[in-house]
Amino acid sequence: MIRLENVTKRYDGTTAVDGLTLEVAAGEVCVLIGASGCGKTTTLRMINRLIEPTSGTILVDERDVMDRSPEELRRSMGYVIQSVGLFPHITVADNILTVPKLLGWDRGRMDVRARDLLQLVGLDPGEYGGKYPRQLSGGEAQRVGVARALAADPPVLLMDEPFGAVDPLTRERLQAEFARIQRELRKTVVFVTHDVDEAIRLADRIAVMRDGRLQQYDTPERILDHPANTFVHDFMGSDRALKRLGRVQVDSVMRTDVPVAADGRSPDAIARAAACSESRFVYLVDPQRRLEGWFDCRALELEGSAETAITNVDWREVSVHPDASLKEALSRMLGLGFRSISVVDETGVLLGVVGLDDIEETMTDSDAYIAPASAGVNETGEAEA
Amino acid sequence: MTSIATPSGRVDRVAAFGASVAVLACLLMPFAVFRANRIVAGTSHGVLAAGLSGWLLLAASACALAAAIVPGRVARGWLLPTASAAATVALAWALGGAALTLRAGQPDASRVSIGAGAWLAAAGITVVWFAARGYPEGVAARRIAIIVAAAGALGAALVGGLGHLSIVTEYGMRADSFWSAVGTHLALAGGSLALAVVIGVPLGILSLRVRWLRAATLGVVGVIQTVPSLALLGLLVVPLAALGLPGIGPLPAVIALTLYALLPIVRNTYVGLSEVDPAVVDAGRGMGMSGRQLLLRVEAPLALPLVLEGVRSAAVLVIGIAAVVAFIGVGTLGVLVFEGWGQQTDDLILLGAIPMVVLAVAADAGLRAVSRAMTSPGIR
Repeated sequence: MIRLENVTKRYDGTTAVDGLTLEVAAGEVCVLIGASGCGKTTTLRMINRLIEPTSGTILVDERDVMDRSPEELRRSMGYVIQSVGLFPHITVADNILTVPKLLGWDRGRMDVRARDLLQLVGLDPGEYGGKYPRQLSGGEAQRVGVARALAADPPVLLMDEPFGAVDPLTRERLQAEFARIQRELRKTVVFVTHDVDEAIRLADRIAVMRDGRLQQYDTPERILDHPANTFVHDFMGSDRALKRLGRVQVDSVMRTDVPVAADGRSPDAIARAAACSESRFVYLVDPQRRLEGWFDCRALELEGSAETAITNVDWREVSVHPDASLKEALSRMLGLGFRSISVVDETGVLLGVVGLDDIEETMTDSDAYIAPASAGVNETGEAEA
Repeated sequence: MTSIATPSGRVDRVAAFGASVAVLACLLMPFAVFRANRIVAGTSHGVLAAGLSGWLLLAASACALAAAIVPGRVARGWLLPTASAAATVALAWALGGAALTLRAGQPDASRVSIGAGAWLAAAGITVVWFAARGYPEGVAARRIAIIVAAAGALGAALVGGLGHLSIVTEYGMRADSFWSAVGTHLALAGGSLALAVVIGVPLGILSLRVRWLRAATLGVVGVIQTVPSLALLGLLVVPLAALGLPGIGPLPAVIALTLYALLPIVRNTYVGLSEVDPAVVDAGRGMGMSGRQLLLRVEAPLALPLVLEGVRSAAVLVIGIAAVVAFIGVGTLGVLVFEGWGQQTDDLILLGAIPMVVLAVAADAGLRAVSRAMTSPGIR
């Protein structure tokens, strides 16, 4: 889909990118990572000709980008940058429709498209379409930035540290949303970051760069397990086991066969139900299956009273989202002092449970790796292992 | 676009200052000056020469002072414009009344001019009007007050004797040349401004793109701005003569005014464009906008408020300098002022000066309104 062949970019005296050869398959996420000044952003900007290479060839869909007009080329690629760069003088909807307007879509088609895209990135079209960029939070602005890049449904997305300027919590959420959108849309993505966790979470393949040269280009698993050199090894950090957890989504390992009891039943009735179940906890839910608390069988054994075995909770404080990574789930468990944590959706509906033992299992069992963006990745990893 | 800081809770110092000036000016300074004819020395008369309306003016100014001190923003919000309107109407009727009273039984050649006290009182009342803008609570009262004040002043002009003031007599004597001067003034200032926009905006855009042009352009227009206007008119004589063109008359006047108007327009165009967030420009280019599309759809709308701000200061500037070109034989309002000086007739000077102020204020307000209307709510 995208192929860089021996691409070099020199500025008088310095070499920003040095003989880079790289291929990104259609529908894959390629993350370019490295320290600042390693040439990753230059590489990205050469793909849409914001920077022209000194030598070498860049092919998109087997066509040399130098044979296409820069404007036409760029309109066929979504472009997202760290500082978002929304146009402050026009509304969110008009921002999103920038490229469709350049392409001359008719009004009706554009209106539908703006609504769909706002929905896709998790913003209410009625509320946000007419807002101006200055009325948005950082996270909302970047969602609009992503929607704007997707507006004309380009096959290629170029993203330059898109989530670099938002707070860690928002970043987590944006990454999860991006992973979800990418599963749905299957764009060919070139993604620049300096955040190793982000790279591992989102990439199908990671290109580690240093001083304009490619150090290693491989799946996250291979890069973590078999770094090509000491630079890659050191760059990925010493907590590689934890990093690997960043790659696995909670919903791919959670147990869904959790015993539940409708809340409001008498403690003794719950205790009887619990006795039939093999697990320690019985989860209490309301009629909509929203998590309200749990019943601890061990507490019943120790204290003998069914009332004290019940804990009522606010689901927001003691659960994780199915899109969260195992790393996040582990961190939440450690923070709460739990050995397992419940998985609920946006409305609090109980979907399953993830425990420390599930995480342990994941770390020893490579089959459990499920790439958030593409399911085909660990086959490569296994074939070479 | 009211930029007046929120008045402090206890005393509105701005309003109190304006009202005090009005009260003291009425009490201590000559309100009207009587002359037996156009050129003899005059005798000064206090505000009470106007009779009842003089008393009303004093009372209204005192009320404005009280309103500035009264606690509570809501009360002040409607008291200040009410007192301002009352004082404005009283001032107009007091001036008319003074003219009627002082000229009663005098020959037709007698004159009554507006005295220093009346001018100062008008200035003080204007300050109170502006202070009243700081109270959004009283916006309805202020709107009504403006209409009442305008109607009251119009009444004074029609039946209250304002027409018997000396300045009106001066106008009556030369109504034709007055209106021709207003026309010339407007045409000269407007034409030069339009020319400066046509030249200055592209120059500002080019300055952003071409580095050597930026230094040259901003430097040259900056230097022109520092040359005094009379000196510039003098300097223009030489190159114009070399081209066989006249050094006096409309041509050098238009050239000089256009040159003066260039600086604010070129500079603000350049600054407005260069202050556009680089990320916004990068996003636009990265999404496939051509240079032209980027300029028209993104950079121009974002720079527009600053460009219009430049046009506004240029407009005020050229309306002022257009007076000076009366020296090289162009019949602007400046001619009336210079003639007034020559004849030592204050009222003739004012006949030229007051319309210039009105033109400048109107241009300023009009272009502000244009700027407001043309600026996107997203960047206002």
